[in-house]
Formats: sequence, C-alpha cells, structure tokens
Amino acid sequence: MSVTTLTSGVTWPGLRPWLGTLVRLGLAAVWLFAGAAKVGDLAGSGRAVNAYQVMPFEVAKVIGAALPFVEIALGVLLVVGLATRAAAAISSALLLVFIAGISSAWARGLSIDCGCFGSGGQLAAGQSPSYAPEIARDIGFLVLAAFLLVWPRTRLSIDRWLESTT
Amino acid sequence: MSKRQQGKSAAKVVRKQLAAERRRKRTMWVSIAAVAVLVIAGLIGWGVYQSQRSDAGPLVAPASATTTTGITQGNGPVQVQLYEDFLCPHCKDFEATSGSAITDLVNDGKIKVTYNTVAYLDPASTTEYSTRSAAAAACASDGGKFKEYHDALYAQQPAEGSAGLSNSQLIAIGTGMGLDQGSFGQCIDSGRYKPWVASITDAAAAAGVTGTPTVKVNNQVIPNPTPEAIVAAVNAA
Repeated sequence: MSVTTLTSGVTWPGLRPWLGTLVRLGLAAVWLFAGAAKVGDLAGSGRAVNAYQVMPFEVAKVIGAALPFVEIALGVLLVVGLATRAAAAISSALLLVFIAGISSAWARGLSIDCGCFGSGGQLAAGQSPSYAPEIARDIGFLVLAAFLLVWPRTRLSIDRWLESTT
Repeated sequence: MSKRQQGKSAAKVVRKQLAAERRRKRTMWVSIAAVAVLVIAGLIGWGVYQSQRSDAGPLVAPASATTTTGITQGNGPVQVQLYEDFLCPHCKDFEATSGSAITDLVNDGKIKVTYNTVAYLDPASTTEYSTRSAAAAACASDGGKFKEYHDALYAQQPAEGSAGLSNSQLIAIGTGMGLDQGSFGQCIDSGRYKPWVASITDAAAAAGVTGTPTVKVNNQVIPNPTPEAIVAAVNAA
C-alpha cells in the first residue's frame, strides 16, 4: 500500500506540522520577549513610538501603551496554538508596519533606536543607528509568520485539538 | 455502481460538506475571538498606563518651574532649554564640558536657562533613579539649592543598570548643603514631585526631544552643543 512512507520514513507532510510547532513557538518567543521588554515602562514605550515622528505624541502614547500588551497576547495565542492563522496574519501585518517604520526613519535620516525590544528613542552622539540589521531581523520574523500563514496546522496546538473534537 | 452504493457515497459527500462548513465556521469564530483578545489586551495596556499616571498623586510644580517646564534660572533675553537625565552618562560629559559656559551666560545676564530634568532612562536603573533624582532636585529647588544639588548629582552619578543612589543618600546630599532635614527629607520620601517629573518628561517628548542631552537656544536645537557652539548661538540670537 503506502510504500513511499514506509521506505522514506520522514516525509514533508509528516514533518511539516512538527516544523510548524517549532516555528510557532519561535514566533511566540519573539512576541513575548518584545512585549515583556516594554511592559515595565509604558511611558518610555510611547516615547519610542514618538521618536519615529510619524504621528502626534498623544497618539504615540496610546500605541506605545497598547503595543506591549498586544505583543504579549499574540505570544500567548501562538504558544497555545489558538487561532494560529489569524495570529500569523496579525503578526505579519505588525511586522510589515515595523519594517515600514524603520525604513522610513532610515530614509528621513533620523538617528533612533528602533525600540523593538525596549529602550528606543534617539541615539546618543557618536552612536550610529543599525537600521539594516533591525530590518533584516524583522524580515526573518516575517518569514516565520508567513510559514504559519500558509501552513497553520501544527502539532501540540489547541487548533488541532479543536479539529479532533469535530 | 449500484443505486444503493450511489446513495451511500452521496450521503458521504453531504456529510463531508457539512463537516467542512462546521470547520469553516469554527475557524471564523476562533479567529474573531483571537482578534477580540488582542483588542482587549491593547485596551488593558492603555488602562494600565492611565492608572499608573493617576496613581502617582497630584501634579505640583517646584519653585522656579511650571507644571510642564523645568526649573529656570537667570533673567537674560535669550532662552536656553536643556534636556538632561541625571542617569545619562553623556549628560554628565555635557555638564563637564559645557556646564560652566552656561553658568557664565546666566551670570552675565545673557540667558535664562531651563533645566528640563527628564526621566527618559527609568528602565536603565532598578529603582527608577531618573525619576527619583529629578524629583529630589525639584525638592532642592524649593530650598533654593537647585543648581548646587544638580551639580552634586552629576558629580556622584551612579552607573546605568545599577540601583542608583538611595533616597537616604539623596537626602544626605541635600542636608550636606544645608537643606532642612525634615522638609527636604519629607519632600523626597513622599515623592511630591514625581508627577511633575512625569509631566515635564511628557512635555519634552511632545516637543520632539527624543534623547538626552538636548540643548535648544531660542527653540533651535544645537546639534553638537560644545561651549563655543552654545555661546555662538546665544550671541547670534
């Protein structure tokens, strides 16, 4: 019957859900670290958003206070594997916004830290910004999110458990 | 294929379609719930931020300051705005190289200088030293010793990442300059000027100040604030 699976042992369809679990947990760790680094200083998080100079300070304060909590919630959804595709879609959208923000700061010649994992704001004299590595890192995270967007079914997830109950 | 078999497979197709429909609906509702969770998380963040602000107590400004601007010294025609954080090493360097030039300009009656002692680096100490030290300097302003106290804090600047000076150390520095142990100590221990520090920090961010030290002469940022550059900008103003 299924000669192929017997002979090759490890197949892409068999491996993919497990690889997806790794990807999901990796992306979850990114969001949890990013959120946890900022949650202790919500005012500073607002200033980091404000440093991009793309919105009024009042708006930046709201975004800055809300973002760490949204990141942590996204991380929790991904850890437990609930609504994986929706979480991956929102992750992708957020990462695209971050990449656009960093690119725009770079293009406008601002000298800021991205504030991705805490700190943020203007760099001291003599420090040069590291926009290229920051963007490269975010593109890496975007690849993880895209993987889950395409293949949201992963092992050890609530999604899978829900699936099995129907 | 017999009729019976046909009927069976048709039923199977219908069952499959129903199951697919159920799956689609469930995925939709789970996704909607997930988005709702994220929205609620964001609202919680905003709520936490608001309550942190209102828990800090009433907003009162110390002597020689307003509720949104730092402590001002001198009566000269040119306005110099300094944005400094007591924990920021570059601010210490700036004070070492340019501090006396600014004091001379004040004494010559050329400028009035506002020390916006912002707390940008609260996460860089384990005890929110930026806020505590700036609030202590505001207490010193009430006792007429702001500049002396300000200079003493830079002379004894703790390292980033440390706990900073304790409240009793901050009080001891003030009493060493003749500030009243009782009222100065109470001012620091009660955190009277912490809301004011948060307010001038917000005002600085709203004014587009993203880092410390920042020096403005008549509202123009001096990109490299050497003593010569500051004096030149003041003379040109």
